[in-house]
Amino acid sequence: MEFGFTAAQQQRYDAILCASREKLGRAGTEGAGSYFTRQQWKAAAEIGLTGLCLPEEHGGGGLSALDTALSLEAFQRGCRDAGLVFSVSAHLLACGVPIRDFAAGEVRQDFLRGMADGSLVAANAMTEDDAGSDVGNLAVTARSEDGAYVLDGEKSFSSNAPAADVIVTYAVTNPRAGFLGVTAFAVPRDLSGIQVGEPFRKMGLDSCPAARVTFRDCRVPARYCLGEEGQGGAVFQHSMGWERACLFAGYVGLMEHQLERCIEHAKQRKQFGSPLGSFQAISHRIAVMKQRLESARLLLYRGCWLMDQGRDYTEAVALAKVAVSEAAIANSTDAVQIFGGAGYLAQTGVEQHLRDSVPSAIFSGTNEIQRELIAREAGL
Amino acid sequence: MSDDVTSERISGYIRERFLNGDKKGELEETTPLLEWGVLNSMNTALLLMFIRDELGVVIPPTKINAGNFQDVKSITAMVTDLARQDQATIAAGTE
Ligand SMILES: Cc1cc2nc3c(=O)[nH]c(=O)nc-3n(C[C@H](O)[C@H](O)[C@H](O)COP(=O)(O)OP(=O)(O)OC[C@H]3O[C@@H](n4cnc5c(N)ncnc54)[C@H](O)[C@@H]3O)c2cc1C
Repeated sequence: MEFGFTAAQQQRYDAILCASREKLGRAGTEGAGSYFTRQQWKAAAEIGLTGLCLPEEHGGGGLSALDTALSLEAFQRGCRDAGLVFSVSAHLLACGVPIRDFAAGEVRQDFLRGMADGSLVAANAMTEDDAGSDVGNLAVTARSEDGAYVLDGEKSFSSNAPAADVIVTYAVTNPRAGFLGVTAFAVPRDLSGIQVGEPFRKMGLDSCPAARVTFRDCRVPARYCLGEEGQGGAVFQHSMGWERACLFAGYVGLMEHQLERCIEHAKQRKQFGSPLGSFQAISHRIAVMKQRLESARLLLYRGCWLMDQGRDYTEAVALAKVAVSEAAIANSTDAVQIFGGAGYLAQTGVEQHLRDSVPSAIFSGTNEIQRELIAREAGL
Repeated sequence: MSDDVTSERISGYIRERFLNGDKKGELEETTPLLEWGVLNSMNTALLLMFIRDELGVVIPPTKINAGNFQDVKSITAMVTDLARQDQATIAAGTE
């Protein structure tokens, strides 16, 4: 058993942390209603972040799940903007991974190259009004017609959609086959029959725009299918495995940065003539934050390691997802308390972490659904 | 394990876990499991675990399709086929 980074991992982590602080350290300070810019996206691409686990032959980094996770952790640790980190992660994991593993020929090559070099932004559109946790209950249909599929229906929540050039989506091709009648597509945004709604007003992840996506008689050539007809459920679960493992590494980076700030504040800020950290109520709160962070981190690294070993990772990744998201929410609440009134003010950036963490218990499969998976793996 | 035993074990599991015991005895070998919503994404994941843990057969993602999971009959055929392939591989390895 070896718990340390290799020299190459440490070097990559340090380089990304440094570049992220330098080039994107100020991103996201504009607040709600302003979204990531193409310039920031390009800056992330120049650091290699938009193509971490995409194949080297198409301009990506060719990284394993564990190395991708470590890189996203460093990215978020150096960049205040959790919305941008989330956008890049969703682009890479919910879209890049299924295109990498299921697209064919030139479609695969063209999308991956553009996604890695930052000229394309990708969005994933699975959720519908009546299909959230129950992703088998899709209403969007895809009718096969002369070498193409005609998509009809509406997706209700798609991060990155307002900025997207490629939309990875899922539609019913065989209504009699339940969730095995779903097919996955990587759809160029400029096809006719696609409408993206106004960006939602949301609680956090401010710079990541999200919206509804509507398909009306949208004719998608069959070459844009991901995998075989009817394989959409498996394609989606595969991409969610990567997302649950690697995207949540960003929250490990967020907690790391947050803890550094809390420790600093507990040393600097004095009340009753003593630093806050000399009060056990504060120092123990920080100790518990550290404990949550480190235990969640270990679960996450292990989940990624199992993926890389080609072993069954479903339970490990579900455990990691729950642990990281709940640690992030609890630690962010503690951080606000430690900063007191200042922690509640937007200008300190402390409350932002809480708003950015709350949705982590919802996306990539809610924590309740992850607990279902864990319980079922336990034979219950 | 014979086809009949495999079929009985898979039917038994589906009855117990997804059909509340199937008191009316409605489940047949050709009951359309996907069409009737008996196999949704969660239940299929559970069934895959049962087949892996209790029947010793790992079903690769490429085999998870509507044809193979249509009913108990098609699931049994796939599982027995995969089990035979596994045994042939083991036998080849020991020669
Ligand atoms: C920030 C953010 C970004 C997102 N980005 C995307 C995106 O890019 N693309 C996309 O397709 N979707 C996206 N989503 C949507 C997300 O995937 C869904 O919100 C999520 O799957 C839950 O679905 P729902 O909101 O319909 O909740 P519901 O499924 O209605 O669930 C509501 C509550 O009931 C619980 N529940 C439901 N079923 C069960 C059960 N069987 N057992 C126990 N509890 C249950 C849930 O855990 C939850 O607490 C995003 C969501 C958020 C918050």
